[in-house]
Amino acid sequence: MTAAAIPEPEGEVSRTQEAILAAYAELIEELGTDDVSFRLIARRAGVGERTIFRNYATKVDLLLATAAWIEIRIFPRQDSPSIFDMPLTIRAAMDSYDRRPELAHVVAETTMRGISGAAPSPRRAMLEEMIDAEISPLEDAERTAIVAALAHLDSAATWVTLRREFGMSRSDIADAAAWAAEAVLDPIRSRVVAR
Amino acid sequence: MMAEVVDTPTAILAHAAAALREHPFDDIPYRTVGDAVGVSERTVYRHFPTRSHLLEGVAGWIESTEFPLPPFVTIAEFQQAARGRFLAFDAAPAFAFVCARAASISPTGEPEPTFFTRALVAMLATNHPSLNERDLRRVAATLRYFASAQFWARMRTGFEMSAPAIADVFDRTVATALGDLPTRTGTVSQPASA
Repeated sequence: MTAAAIPEPEGEVSRTQEAILAAYAELIEELGTDDVSFRLIARRAGVGERTIFRNYATKVDLLLATAAWIEIRIFPRQDSPSIFDMPLTIRAAMDSYDRRPELAHVVAETTMRGISGAAPSPRRAMLEEMIDAEISPLEDAERTAIVAALAHLDSAATWVTLRREFGMSRSDIADAAAWAAEAVLDPIRSRVVAR
Repeated sequence: MMAEVVDTPTAILAHAAAALREHPFDDIPYRTVGDAVGVSERTVYRHFPTRSHLLEGVAGWIESTEFPLPPFVTIAEFQQAARGRFLAFDAAPAFAFVCARAASISPTGEPEPTFFTRALVAMLATNHPSLNERDLRRVAATLRYFASAQFWARMRTGFEMSAPAIADVFDRTVATALGDLPTRTGTVSQPASA
């Protein structure tokens, strides 16, 4: 299995940017998002503060770029050939969020900022392609509902909510999220087209 | 609201919420909020030492004043309540995004379930008394997560949906999650979905 072909956020990330984003992600895990100055990030990344400003004009720009980088590099999804593998994909994602809670919160929160935030459903197109390739034509409303529900479950906010509102353990979160995805897929199990 | 006598933290939250009409949350100046309330910037910091504290506080204030949750004792009433909230979110998106963000950040204190979660678990336990603890929790978790401001925010931004469409996806997901759970009367549940 190879890493999923997820589109890069806003074009290519240069090596300098990569160093900055990785440094900020590290510092968030050590200190949280509030206490990290540009100066500290610059020192950790081995670049000048001005280099950071040239790439990311504001702290918000830097945070959003870092969140997108974290989702791709720290929480990558495996390439799955079938929509029916989504429960497994979601189970693995929940497990990885639980191992890096600070970073999971950053990803979850930045996707909740509306159009000025990070993309909330980066794998929507991939889900649509999988469902179209595998399932006999669905009503628009049903297709949209399934893709939307799976996109919502396959996200850091799922982990946050199950941990916070239900106090679930790592394995309970993975079980509950995968179970919900199975339930979403139930109505289309009998509609797989032979290929 | 402003005419009532309120304590300082509540007044700060009310003014910070009002400032959302002009600024994104991250740009709301502590100083301006302090001035509006008639306290120093330092007092604002004392009550809300970080942006995360302020975000949680403002979201709590918004939830209780702008998006109050109607009572529900049946699945159908719960779905009506959720639909009503999605419509209210559409009417005040800046407020709703703040609630979605606050529900997603690393909690500043000891996290505990919201009233909404406890009401939902109680409603499910009453309507499905034979449900075992594990099933009850995962059904409740699914329903809670899809009734959230976070779901509204993802559907609005990632799927360009408005409240009625969001509520339809919600209803379909509730129906699949409830599946063929046994109900109080022993019959298969009939969620009020399309």
